Amino acid sequence: MSTIVEARQLTKNYPAETTAVRAVDGVDLHIDAGEFVSVMGPSGCGKSTLLHLLGGLDRADSGFLSLAGNRVDGLSESQWAVFRRQHVGFVFQAFHLVDELTAVENVELPALLLGARRRSSRHRAMELLERLGVAERAGHLPDRLSGGEKQRVAVARAVMNEPALVLADEPTGNLDSRATGQILNLLAELRDTRRSVLVVTHDARVASAADRLLTMRDGEIVSHTRLGDGASALGLLAELVDLGGER
Amino acid sequence: MRSLRIAVRLAGRNLRHRPAQAALLLLTLTIATGALGVGMWLYGSADRPWDQVWTKTRGFHVQVDYYTDFRAPRKDVDLSRSRSEAMTLAKDRRVVAVGGPWTVLDGRLNVEGESEDLTAQVRQPGVSRVDQPLITAGRWLGSGAGIVLEDGLAHTLDARPGDTVLIQRHRFTVRGVAMTVSQGRFPLTRPALVWVTPATAREMRGLGMTEEGFELEVRLADPAQAPALAAAYSSLNKTTSTSTMFTETWEARKADSHSDLDILVGTVFSAGILIAILTIATAAVIITGRMAAQTRQVGTLKAVGVTPGQIVLVLLVEYLGLAALATVIGLGAGRLIAPSLAGTSLTILGAPELPPLSWSRVGIVAAVALAVVLLATVHPALRGIRYSTLRSLASGARPPKQAGRVGRLSARTGAPLTATLGLRSAWRRPSQLLTNAAGLMLGVAMIIVGLGLHSSLSLLRAERTEVGHALSGVGIDSLYDQVRMIVLGTAGLLLVLGTINAFIVATFAARDSARNHAAMRAVGATPRQTVIVLIVSQLGACLVALAAGIPLGLGLWSLMAGGDLPRVAVSGLSLALLAVAVPVAFAVIVSLPARLQARRSVAPLLTYE
Repeated sequence: MSTIVEARQLTKNYPAETTAVRAVDGVDLHIDAGEFVSVMGPSGCGKSTLLHLLGGLDRADSGFLSLAGNRVDGLSESQWAVFRRQHVGFVFQAFHLVDELTAVENVELPALLLGARRRSSRHRAMELLERLGVAERAGHLPDRLSGGEKQRVAVARAVMNEPALVLADEPTGNLDSRATGQILNLLAELRDTRRSVLVVTHDARVASAADRLLTMRDGEIVSHTRLGDGASALGLLAELVDLGGER
Repeated sequence: MRSLRIAVRLAGRNLRHRPAQAALLLLTLTIATGALGVGMWLYGSADRPWDQVWTKTRGFHVQVDYYTDFRAPRKDVDLSRSRSEAMTLAKDRRVVAVGGPWTVLDGRLNVEGESEDLTAQVRQPGVSRVDQPLITAGRWLGSGAGIVLEDGLAHTLDARPGDTVLIQRHRFTVRGVAMTVSQGRFPLTRPALVWVTPATAREMRGLGMTEEGFELEVRLADPAQAPALAAAYSSLNKTTSTSTMFTETWEARKADSHSDLDILVGTVFSAGILIAILTIATAAVIITGRMAAQTRQVGTLKAVGVTPGQIVLVLLVEYLGLAALATVIGLGAGRLIAPSLAGTSLTILGAPELPPLSWSRVGIVAAVALAVVLLATVHPALRGIRYSTLRSLASGARPPKQAGRVGRLSARTGAPLTATLGLRSAWRRPSQLLTNAAGLMLGVAMIIVGLGLHSSLSLLRAERTEVGHALSGVGIDSLYDQVRMIVLGTAGLLLVLGTINAFIVATFAARDSARNHAAMRAVGATPRQTVIVLIVSQLGACLVALAAGIPLGLGLWSLMAGGDLPRVAVSGLSLALLAVAVPVAFAVIVSLPARLQARRSVAPLLTYE
């Protein structure tokens, strides 16, 4: 099985008034192709920061990082951008759609940046929006979309280039059950096509759909649970209750 | 009192929190108040010296001038009848003292091989009751030989008592140098003036000088009656084919006495007004850029219990402080610069004396700063007060409501992706874009006027100077040089303001687009691509400025040219260079904030407010 994410001793500190805050503290992580991994943990434990480091949105202070067989921890901002076009898709909790672009234009943007033809990009973008149930909103600017619609557009944008790795931060945080189901189906399909997914979530439904659950606390990964090989729903529920209590 | 203390403390904190924006606002305000300050101090700086000379020389209240066309046959000129007519005015009961009529002779003064028209006014030795020239060197006419030079002429020739000057190719010894207000100073006022005794006049006639006319001057018991007296004898104002006679009051003479300084004052004021307009535009850009933050602050203050009145007070204190400082600096700068500018005047009598600081002058300068203050305060305060506290707290950069047509069109025509994205962003803040374009447009227009003036003056210099006006031509050139300097200086200041404007707009645009650009980078756009997007989004303002500024500049120049200035077309090459250089410089300036932002990692920018 090929490795998509290989991280060793990833560390990220944020300066603070008295002492630096260690947001990610020597994280080792290994994700195989086609694996669906969810990350849970209390607020401020470093989940989102880890996601940002893995996608090159922020720079690690130290550590080794390889994505899809390429060492990426030394890439420049430009190199990271080009790498993301081909290999990484992002879904943000706050959507981060481009305000001036319509829904369909947002979705086709990664393909256009990659050099795809406008016509074929538009066709695929519409197809994705159709599958996520927001095709009728394709021509609207983000300001005219509801939170759930924005989230679905953001998911469509993340998978537009069929990246090897999709990094998602609370992708269902603003969605109802039906829309959550649509997104989980789409992410599951990615897994079926040997693409990897790493989801940061507080949603037990999303976490339970994963192959593996990572738990973070104080910048460290404190537990790995393989859900597909014996982790019971009860055990997962207990873990979730435990995390909730710490919040 | 307590409210004011809190307002001062909060305003001070606001200014310290955003020192760069406060400094930029102060700089733009000061450029405007400084330009107006120079104009204010310059205006009237020649009046006091004129008044002093007028008092000391017992200057006229009404003057009658008569002169003939030197080409007219002498038999057609009836000088004695004209003298009799003019003397009717001298016999009016309102007249208390009479000077003249003094005969004036027409001749030529030789100056280093060139010639200049000369008038020799014939005076009896001794003191006149009206217009007794004020001696600045040597002695007045007496029993001995020699002539007295008008002060401006002596200054131009660098002549002192004891020197000799060549009149009608004959040497005359300079006996003294004197000032008068009966006519302006040489060389801008022509012809050159000397005073001679009847004996010297006879000698001059022998050298070929002809009687040109006479001058009669009177003083009145009540100087305010001068216009009424001149009006009563309006029949004296007449022009025939061989002669001209006219009356002039002391007020009119005073108003015409320092024409070069008046031109400079007019140019500086015009420049000041243009700069002030652009300053208001620049300040408006800063203020609208801060609007969201300001509205949020108003929300915060309301949330903690500050009343709307106290909020207005905080904003007023903050901006009034800046406006007051700009007014003081502007007037101070004007006070420092104006004397050296006034000192270059060729027509001023004696040394310039700056007028006393009056409330009206301070008021005019402060009004510009105040206009900006009101712009700064009223809108955000009203908006913040009108909005609910919650809405004020949530205020942020306004997202677009509809996709721009230009952006959609560019996408259909297959324009590069960065250009399409840039065009989409261009209309996000249309008022800032238009303000920016207006400022740059004025700068471009002034450069074109400066270029036209430059070519025209070069041509003027290259042309052969009219016979008899050699020194005056040099004097006029020097005046135009000063005007050109002010026009180019204004163009420079307008461009500085335009640059500040463009930089501020680009900074706010970069800030507004920070999250969008970070989102683009998250999906694969390179930092360079986001910089290009920002440049394209701002370049529209520059292109609009060029498209409107070039015709505006050419139009202004065509209005200015003609008359004394040769009408010269601004060269196509200059316009082409301008059309290339301005957008390139603009692109470099607006790329700076975008480049700084592009260096940062994506994650912090995604949470940027």
